[in-house]
Amino acid sequence: MVDIEAQLKKFQKELSAGTVSLVLLAVLARASEPLYGYLIAKRLEQVGGGVLSGKQSALYPVLRNLEGAGLLESHVEPSDAGPPRRCYRITGAGREVLAQWAAAWRATRDSVDSVLEGVSI
Amino acid sequence: MNTRPSPERPLPRTIPEYLEQLRQALAGADKAMVQDALYDAEEYLRAELAANPGRPEADVIADVAGSYGAPEEVADIYRETEVTVNRALRPPQPPRGRSLAARFFGVAADPYTYGSLFYMLLALATGVFYFTWAVTGISLSGGLIILIIGVPLLLLFLMSVRLLSLVEGRIVEALLGVRMPRRPLYIQRDKPWLTRIGELFTDGRTWTAMAYMLAMLPLGTAYFSCIVTLLAVSLGLLLTPLASLFGWWDSPGFHLDGLYFALADSWAGALLAFAIGLLLLFATLHLARLVGRCHGWLAKHLLVRNPVV
Repeated sequence: MVDIEAQLKKFQKELSAGTVSLVLLAVLARASEPLYGYLIAKRLEQVGGGVLSGKQSALYPVLRNLEGAGLLESHVEPSDAGPPRRCYRITGAGREVLAQWAAAWRATRDSVDSVLEGVSI
Repeated sequence: MNTRPSPERPLPRTIPEYLEQLRQALAGADKAMVQDALYDAEEYLRAELAANPGRPEADVIADVAGSYGAPEEVADIYRETEVTVNRALRPPQPPRGRSLAARFFGVAADPYTYGSLFYMLLALATGVFYFTWAVTGISLSGGLIILIIGVPLLLLFLMSVRLLSLVEGRIVEALLGVRMPRRPLYIQRDKPWLTRIGELFTDGRTWTAMAYMLAMLPLGTAYFSCIVTLLAVSLGLLLTPLASLFGWWDSPGFHLDGLYFALADSWAGALLAFAIGLLLLFATLHLARLVGRCHGWLAKHLLVRNPVV
């Protein structure tokens, strides 16, 4: 007996591992000003479907990793609403990586779609 | 205190309750990771609250459980990410040497060996600075405490201790590979400022961090002298064959009661010195790595606070 639900969960987890990084880079590349975690999460919430509709707490560690890899840079801004916020901005290296990731994504998406077209369910 | 909240536990109604549940759900996890997770969660919660002025806090928090995740879910996400990140960031483990020799010389392939080596050299500078800062801060604010100006000075000093412990944590994590907090620990905004000031004094980590800063002077001096001496001696011994080759007769040797025996006098002596130098160099690398591990442990226990929420 195959656990369909668990299979779906596992697939979503693996699919989201790379796409979330890609989407975060894209959101920050489109933004004209540095964004903090909450704003990024809310922007994703508006467009988010599929694996992007997961829990928003998962975004913060990814942001931190992207920063650690030098693709993002951040600074702390004081806010009157609560704790100081960490604002992220994309770096030059981040833009270069994004261009390559986006190309890889498009190529993958097109070929996956073309394969899926022939499948009748 | 129960370590794992039961599933039928009521949903948190306030930010402190949410953070407390998150902290309990993360019980037993790495302290530095807990600090980061709480920081992120509080940033999100407060931003959500600020974005919905006029709505009761309990409603906002209930929504957050859907968007950001309930405390248990968030805890699971962080635990999971930590594993992945550790695997991704960790330098590849040197292959386990089967033989004793491979394990002995394999230390040269471990990146943290050089991190520790550099840390031991750096510790003299940072140690002197921390010690000076702590002693100046204690005596200045302590001496002026009878005047009103001593009170703000003392508070500024205690806050600087927290900041410096975060900075030292970053150095320790980069060079010694011990997970340390990446975000500052901050105190509840809701609490009156008097309570928050009080926590500066009652929080044990403020004082252990100060003790760490004081201890860094002797430790840093010892680390620096040990490593410089050992490196200089092993390099000197390693260069003996070269001295022999060029006929530098005053190269490393032993002076005993007027007798002088230079290692570079004969090829046999020079090669022996070279072998000893090589062994000493690798033994020094082992020592550096060991000291790095011990110091990382010390730093973690003295500098990382149990997050108070």
